[in-house]
Amino acid sequence: MTNNGRKPFLELRGISKRFGHVQALQDVDFDIAEAEVVALVGDNGAGKSTLIKVISGAYQPDAGEILIDGRPVNFQNPKDALQAGIATVYQNLALVDQRDVVSNIFLGREMTRGLVLDQKGMAEATGRVLNELRSDIPSVHVEVGLLSGGQRQAVAIARAINQREGMRLIIMDEPVAALGIEETRKVLRLIERLKEQGFAVIVISHNLEHVFSVADRIVVLRRGRMVGVREKSATTAAEIVHLIVGAEHI
Amino acid sequence: MNQDAKKLVDSKAVDALLDTLEEGAADKTIIRAGGRALWMARLRGTSTVIAALLIFVGLSLATPLFLKLDNLLLVARQISILQIIAVGMTFLFISREIDLSVGSIYGFLAIVLATLIAKQHINPWVSLAMVVVLGGIIGLVNGVITTRFGIPSFIVTLGGLSILRGGALLLSGGWPIALKLGEDSTFPKLTDGRLFGTVPAQIFWMLGITIVASFVLSKTKFGAHVYATGGNEEAAILTGIATKRVKTISFMLTGALCGIAAGLLLGQVGSGFPLTGQGFELDVIAAVVIGGTPLWGGAGSILGTLLGAAIIGMITNGLVLLGASAYFEPVAKGSIIVLAVLADTLIRRRAR
Repeated sequence: MTNNGRKPFLELRGISKRFGHVQALQDVDFDIAEAEVVALVGDNGAGKSTLIKVISGAYQPDAGEILIDGRPVNFQNPKDALQAGIATVYQNLALVDQRDVVSNIFLGREMTRGLVLDQKGMAEATGRVLNELRSDIPSVHVEVGLLSGGQRQAVAIARAINQREGMRLIIMDEPVAALGIEETRKVLRLIERLKEQGFAVIVISHNLEHVFSVADRIVVLRRGRMVGVREKSATTAAEIVHLIVGAEHI
Repeated sequence: MNQDAKKLVDSKAVDALLDTLEEGAADKTIIRAGGRALWMARLRGTSTVIAALLIFVGLSLATPLFLKLDNLLLVARQISILQIIAVGMTFLFISREIDLSVGSIYGFLAIVLATLIAKQHINPWVSLAMVVVLGGIIGLVNGVITTRFGIPSFIVTLGGLSILRGGALLLSGGWPIALKLGEDSTFPKLTDGRLFGTVPAQIFWMLGITIVASFVLSKTKFGAHVYATGGNEEAAILTGIATKRVKTISFMLTGALCGIAAGLLLGQVGSGFPLTGQGFELDVIAAVVIGGTPLWGGAGSILGTLLGAAIIGMITNGLVLLGASAYFEPVAKGSIIVLAVLADTLIRRRAR
């Protein structure tokens, strides 16, 4: 598999996963390097969600192995994946609308000084991470419910990469599904920022325009199998569509 | 592919486009919108303050009796028990739960406390500590049934409302229980006496509890988890917050505060009555709601609730001073609740 010559950070080999009679994934190979954006495309039920759940530790594969920096790992739960530097941005973003940006980014792991919340420290850390993403959020103290769709995505991404030291891979499930064109561009810009900062990014998307604008490589799944991996520069939208629906349908 | 899509696919064009967007006018609009949103959020926080001030000034102008120090201290004393229980209810509302049984817990604990002091001859302070713990246990039961079995707290505590009222009647046989404390007892002095010559003791209890609770809610990790639990429970769970525990602790706090309220009541009136606190849950909910804490959780404050309790106290007091019919009081209270929520809803809508 081509990878711009870089050593992959995460590798999946021969991953299979079955739910009852449904073979959700069959013998899937996948890899991603740091500072690389890989788009995961495929029709509904192609296995995209199952694959990212295997990577994020939510599902355990029936067969195959996962390697990080060439060493096999065994994710029993999302916490294990998090320890390995893998974070997921949930499709519904899991934000508390009534709380400000700072509270959301530190949700569940608030900084304290003794008994008291370290509001200043958290606000500064929030400002730093949002600056790195070059987000246009007006204030770290604005309620998240008052932000635009793209700004909310920025908060969710900031929380994902800020969860602990050493995050390396960000998984985004349909990050622009509910956004208008302007907000979509901002989110695509955020993904480019993540790449510039050296994060590996896996993006699930239905929209090939978006896929072509951000991804370095495109991985196509169909009925649980990986049917193609293409460098963006060496493929066309027509070819990807062809892979997604399968030759027999054309 | 249409023209727009071609532009998007060409990443250089995307970059150029995004750069103009980021540095251009579009950005400023969003910051302005953010500014207005912030302003609206602030207005939401201050609408209760404005309402309280309007009522205060209005009553001061309407009757010269209102502004007298003795009258203001009377109002503060009258709202002490209400505010103390409403503090617990605020935690519950923010975590998106409710306790309809507070009036009954308060009444039941008043009877238990009177029984311990008058019939078991236990030291009143030790007795008070015992009913505070008992209140916490009642809250624990409410919290566990609600969170572990997924039964809405509205139903669980509606049951508790009836059960504990029955408990108070059974325990007392329907009769009041007089404390019969000695002349030298510190209990009435520290629950109903005048401290520093003029200030009723209840006010210190109320302010102490309000300050500590406000600190916990706004400055500690637990407080942040209360807001997150009520704001978006799913998100809170995903980030590792033990939302069931947060809710259960809020129920326990409410029960324990009902115990303190029962102590203050007995210190003041010297007897436990089995019907104490009947219908009181409505006043408590009114104080919380008027104070700006929404029923749907995730927002609100203890100081807001104090203002809510103060508004209720001022209206009750004002109607008496103005010689209005006592029957008018519930009408006024009910109208204020609806107006407060209406104002909050309208402001929220404009902020969007």
